[in-house]
Amino acid sequence: MVMPASRESFQGGVFHASIPGGRSGATLTIARGELIADTISEPSIRFSIPLNQCQIDLGGASNRMVFCRTAEGDLTIFCEEKNFAKELDFQSGGMLAGPLKELKKGLAADANRFRFWLTVSAVACALLLFLGYFGVLWTAKIAIRALPVSVDEKIGSMAFSGMEMGRKLEANHPASRLVQEIVDKLKPHASIPDLKFKVTVVEDADINAFALPGGQIVVFTGLIKEAKSAEQIAGVLAHEMSHATLRHGIERVSQSLGIVAAIQIMVGDVGGLVALGAQVAQTSILTSYSRAAETEADLEGARMLNAAKIDPKAMADFFAMLKEKMGDLPDAMAWISTHPQHETRVQSIQDHQKKLPVVQYEPLQLDLKAAQDAL
Amino acid sequence: MRHQMLCPPAATALRFELEQGESITCEVGAMIAMTSGLTVETTSKSRGGSGGIIKELKRMFSGENFFLNHFTAQLPDQSLLIGPTLLGDCVHHSMRGGTMIVQGSSWLASTPGIEIDTTWQGFSSALFSGESMFWVKCSGGGELYLSSYGAIHSLEIDGDYTIDTGHIVAFEDTLKFNIGKASRSLIGSFLGGEGLVCKFHGQGKLYYQSHTLPSLGALLGPKLKAK
Repeated sequence: MVMPASRESFQGGVFHASIPGGRSGATLTIARGELIADTISEPSIRFSIPLNQCQIDLGGASNRMVFCRTAEGDLTIFCEEKNFAKELDFQSGGMLAGPLKELKKGLAADANRFRFWLTVSAVACALLLFLGYFGVLWTAKIAIRALPVSVDEKIGSMAFSGMEMGRKLEANHPASRLVQEIVDKLKPHASIPDLKFKVTVVEDADINAFALPGGQIVVFTGLIKEAKSAEQIAGVLAHEMSHATLRHGIERVSQSLGIVAAIQIMVGDVGGLVALGAQVAQTSILTSYSRAAETEADLEGARMLNAAKIDPKAMADFFAMLKEKMGDLPDAMAWISTHPQHETRVQSIQDHQKKLPVVQYEPLQLDLKAAQDAL
Repeated sequence: MRHQMLCPPAATALRFELEQGESITCEVGAMIAMTSGLTVETTSKSRGGSGGIIKELKRMFSGENFFLNHFTAQLPDQSLLIGPTLLGDCVHHSMRGGTMIVQGSSWLASTPGIEIDTTWQGFSSALFSGESMFWVKCSGGGELYLSSYGAIHSLEIDGDYTIDTGHIVAFEDTLKFNIGKASRSLIGSFLGGEGLVCKFHGQGKLYYQSHTLPSLGALLGPKLKAK
């Protein structure tokens, strides 16, 4: 069957040993069952391959170039134009349809394989990033807990000096002396024996007290005024001292740790951690110990009170008193507002008390009235 | 127009002898010396070729300059001396139609019949071939001059051939390459120091360089004192 001549010509090229340099650009036409290439060089040389002897291949830098080779492989005509493959297929009467289809299928499979590996690599990269991020944070947290208590003390004193507070009472003020005596009584029973507790009483009407990392404790005069007994103050102090001995401050620092700080710690930059800790302590430590940390401090505080022969019930009583006095108005009671669900806490302190060794409680020989009058 | 390679391959410079009216397009900054009968015109597109801001910007991505310098002889017997930025070789390639794909920064000069554009060779080549993300595509007919760090060797490929990553200077568009492992196993490939390689397939000419700048940098870098 003789096919009509190709209606269009294509720009392509030829490889043949007789061409200087072995290769030349060429104008291609398909006519009378032959693929004809006229080189663009001067003088033009004509090459042709009968379509039925054409060995088809796809490739080139673009992967879309169609090559037609003789069986001996000494002559190759190629073209990258879009319609060339279609025309070749049409002119060959479907003879080349099979091989062309096979080649295209192969290319599609290659592309799919590439897409598969691209997806796999993208997922793997994302997973590595994810694991790396949390791995670094987790390791830094472990590292922070292994730090000496002196780091807590540094964070605490830096945070304390940067805080804006009311007037600090003198150490020989009756209220300061009262608080100091309670702390002295509780100190021997702290779980970290050499922690240096330092108490400051600050003039402030809020019923509040807080502990900074390292044993720095601040008590507001409002709390002393409202206390019904020295034991109640002891209850609050035991709770706050427990935050320090349980190192909740540094735990809080490690929780708010960013990836940059975590890396700093892992390369041994403790100074950076102290600065970060001081910042965290100032901004969020007062209001955001976790509920678990609060409960832990309650139970540890109860243990300390019990060991110091003070009835832990006083702690529970203080919560109950505040609840009764103020109702549920958190703004008026800063201390209680950060310690939610105190009914549950009262219950859990009482339950815990039953598990503690039985001791003969001794009332505190302290003059609360005199301290309150001096305020 | 005639050309002459001076001091190849270590410190190659190219000398062109131009007749009146002949011109050549060079990389910006390549000119070393020239006679007074040559005029220089700086444009952003190849002589006689199509331009467009996109094309120029694409050329910058491939590591070439936004601008091109066209040298034209206004008088007979003019000579122009050009050289590449790096120490190394230059080669001359005669093009009769077709396309040459050149690694970014290796294009040095070409005669006006050659169109210069930029092309993308796929993700794997962009990431792992050790060359720049984009390649320079030179097509048409004329004389093409390439440069590279180290000596440049050429090879007529017919079938398969493997080149280490970072060593490709240029190849004809009838060749395609894939990134692959040097040996059967991936670990073996890296232990052998070859890692990934470029595997060429097809028929056509390939230019490759004997040395690569990154390997020199890797050798020198650790020995340099921090500022």
